[in-house]
Amino acid sequence: MIEWGSFLVVALGSLAGGCGVVLLFSLGLRFAGPETDGSRRGLGIACFTVCALVVALGVCLVIPYFAPFFARL
Amino acid sequence: MVALVIALALFFDFTNGFHDTANAMATPIATGALRPRVAVGIAAVLNLVGAFISTTVANTISGGLINEGSGGVLITPTLIFAGLLGAVLWNLVTWVLGLPSSSSHALFGGLIGAAIVGAGFESINLTVLLSKIVLPAVLAPIVAGLVSFLATRIAYATTKKRQRDGFRVGQIFTSSLVSLAHGTNDAQKTMGVITLALIAGGLQPANSSPQFWVILVCAVAIALGTYTGGWRIIKTLGHGITDIEPAQGFAAEAATAATILASTHLGFALSTTQVASGSVIGTGIGRKGASVRWRTAGRIALGWVITIPAAAVVGAIAAVVAHVGWWGILLDAVVAILIFVAIFLLSRRNTVTARDLAHAKPAQFVRPKPRGKQARLAAAAERAKGADA
Repeated sequence: MIEWGSFLVVALGSLAGGCGVVLLFSLGLRFAGPETDGSRRGLGIACFTVCALVVALGVCLVIPYFAPFFARL
Repeated sequence: MVALVIALALFFDFTNGFHDTANAMATPIATGALRPRVAVGIAAVLNLVGAFISTTVANTISGGLINEGSGGVLITPTLIFAGLLGAVLWNLVTWVLGLPSSSSHALFGGLIGAAIVGAGFESINLTVLLSKIVLPAVLAPIVAGLVSFLATRIAYATTKKRQRDGFRVGQIFTSSLVSLAHGTNDAQKTMGVITLALIAGGLQPANSSPQFWVILVCAVAIALGTYTGGWRIIKTLGHGITDIEPAQGFAAEAATAATILASTHLGFALSTTQVASGSVIGTGIGRKGASVRWRTAGRIALGWVITIPAAAVVGAIAAVVAHVGWWGILLDAVVAILIFVAIFLLSRRNTVTARDLAHAKPAQFVRPKPRGKQARLAAAAERAKGADA
């Protein structure tokens, strides 16, 4: 029995996670990286912060200790 | 017998470590985000940590693949020994060839081969083999490649040329995440095998979780293996498939981490190696002006296809010999050691070490000026560009 449904979930989840992190980090570099006028620095730092939070979420997913927490969500 | 199995399992764990260092650390080494020694050091520590934080039941190793238990096959330490021999040998062969192949598949293949000899084809659950191993093996690299392709496009579309060096910092984090995920996955497989052997040998009650010393030695073995660094495979993955820039490395590692995390969270066992290779190919397609060496990619894919059958054949042969009696097992061990030594000597012919990978490719805008014919061609290209503008 092949679980196509859960496979689709995995594919979409990876797509959202992978592209999301890259988009956030790229925007952070775009707004707060070198060769910027500094006017949107705050926005860039916000992007980096959200990106770090997403990665932290990923770390939590790896650690089974936190699994019950996610089960409740 | 059980002691022999444990020793061999730990050796497999060690080969697993150095085989898979490349998954996480090939791209940061290739872009110069981390120096090779530092990179494998980080990977080793994270694998060690990862092995400890994972507490999932180790019996999932067989995952219903081999119909064990009442009415099924009786798994003996001898069978596990033969299976491990197949896995270790295949891992070493692919290492010498510099092929990033799946250590998990080698392990499954070896165990399948041994089980077929021990109990016939009925012992293998073909549906499980297809749905849990073969299908994910085909789909996972494709998904990872797709995610990596899109992520690369996003990264290049959003950032300006001179900003892309910033991705090196990001790479450190994403590749660390891949290392951690690897530790939680792969060290556990060896723990599962050792626990299986202990249970089969009657030294531990059935359905119990791995003992602490098993977790400890497995964690140390995989960390040591990781630190040793499979430089050959790092070279293949970091330089052989496509030339990687920091933005690509970041995108590829993010795709790898996301795919592994999403699938393990939803209960799919994936091969870290295949996901990482898929990502690297995807990012090679994603950057304009980058080319993918399809010959190398094809060799890797061929390696994947034959991993399970090859390990199974070795596992089966070892099982046939081992079934003759104690001297069969001894013969297995001696032949295996001879082959290990032969492979090691073969590898000495052309060594690939950390030093070969230390000179990272500089980022685009600090690339040294081309000389001679190339310089004239480049200058002509510049002029043509200027004329267009």
